Amino acid sequence: MHIPDGILPAQVCAAGYAITGLATWYSLRQINRKPDPSAEIPKASLLTAAFFVASSIYIPVPPASVHLILNGLLGVVLGYFAFPAILIGLFFQALVIGHGGITTLGVNAAMMGIPALLAYHVFQLRNSLGKVLKEPTRTGVFAFLGGAIGLGVAALIFLALIIFNIPAELDAGAERTAVLALSVSHVPLAIVEGIFTAMLVLFLRRVKPELLEG
Amino acid sequence: MGATSLDTYVHRESVIHRWSPRLKLVSLGVLMFAFATVHDLALVPWMLGLAAALYLLSGLPLAFLRQRLSYPGLFILALVVVLPLTVGDTVLAQWGWLTLRQEGLMATLLIVGRFLSILTLGFILLGTTPFLTLLHAMRSLGLPTILADMTLLSYRYLFEIAAMLATMQQAMRLRGFGQKRQRWLRINRQTMEQLAMLAGNLLIRSYEQSDRVYRAMRLRGYGYGTKSAVGQSAAAQPCALSWGLTGVVLAAAIAFVIAELGWLR
Repeated sequence: MHIPDGILPAQVCAAGYAITGLATWYSLRQINRKPDPSAEIPKASLLTAAFFVASSIYIPVPPASVHLILNGLLGVVLGYFAFPAILIGLFFQALVIGHGGITTLGVNAAMMGIPALLAYHVFQLRNSLGKVLKEPTRTGVFAFLGGAIGLGVAALIFLALIIFNIPAELDAGAERTAVLALSVSHVPLAIVEGIFTAMLVLFLRRVKPELLEG
Repeated sequence: MGATSLDTYVHRESVIHRWSPRLKLVSLGVLMFAFATVHDLALVPWMLGLAAALYLLSGLPLAFLRQRLSYPGLFILALVVVLPLTVGDTVLAQWGWLTLRQEGLMATLLIVGRFLSILTLGFILLGTTPFLTLLHAMRSLGLPTILADMTLLSYRYLFEIAAMLATMQQAMRLRGFGQKRQRWLRINRQTMEQLAMLAGNLLIRSYEQSDRVYRAMRLRGYGYGTKSAVGQSAAAQPCALSWGLTGVVLAAAIAFVIAELGWLR
């Protein structure tokens, strides 16, 4: 779900960089408000590398497999570090495997990173709205929502960008049908991502709860 | 991961290798954006020609480009198959239910041309500049300290964590994971739970390692003052060759934008 170089016009790429710049500035501002931000950097960096590596895990669905995005999980675990982490992860992907692109780095980072920040805030709601539920259901439900919303919103942005920027001659009716069909096809993927996030977060809650404190 | 080959050709000798990293980063970045503005099909051969000329100047082998293009090429292949057959009204040829359309074909040629040209520039930049030097150049251009430190540390431990995951996956397979036959189009709950635990273990191991890394960094003075883990670059002043190449590339970028604007009018 990365947009490669050459697909989007320069104006959209520049707007992507502007949004990413703004979101990075906001995230860094929140990080710098912490009592000792430098103490968090090694943790966030190694987790960024671990997320990058973990995104190569596939869930078998014979005869194919489902590739996980994990942006919602990144938001849930890393909080405001999620946006810089995604930016760095996408930079590595463009560099190492040519996945995504350099001109589209801003667009891709905004597309994955803003839903990750949204997922973080959704997961934090467990401490207020989620009080009606008992643990561990509360953590599981909000982790599911974080994971599913992270992927769902990213998929919607991706589809909108692709559909509105490539086929100039495609008629409006076909465009609407394509958006609807592709959006519906992403619903099961968002559910799978949500379930995986909930399973992983519940595992972390049992084994290393301090990882969920960020 | 194929990542180990990233720095394979950075120590070769060519004019592009000798180009000052900071000027190279800015010039090739501007040229990439100029390529992204192109909508006129007549400019595509010029764009491809310039990218090919710079690639030849870099002295990088063709195998490097071929190897790097294989993965992103899959996305483009999908576009090449879909667009010419679905987009546009002008029919060029028809075979039964398959119709080749002019507008779709032109859109495909434009996208593929831009994709190949921009990607080639990216590979020239990465193939001729060591990663750390590139990071120094980005830092000197204003990359925030937190981002620079995170990039460096993530890159440092990326391969170690990838090796850790490979070992864990091998251990799982040796214990019988993935041997059970699964029904078509069904996700096995147990398999998913085991994979979630695998990813969770990877995060926990990385988290615990990060604590040891932080203590070691702290002992070496990290976090006192505003010093970055990336350090200061001892880059030499750019030579005449660097300025010359920068001038030529930036002039080419401006020429592409002017040609594109002229075409729009």
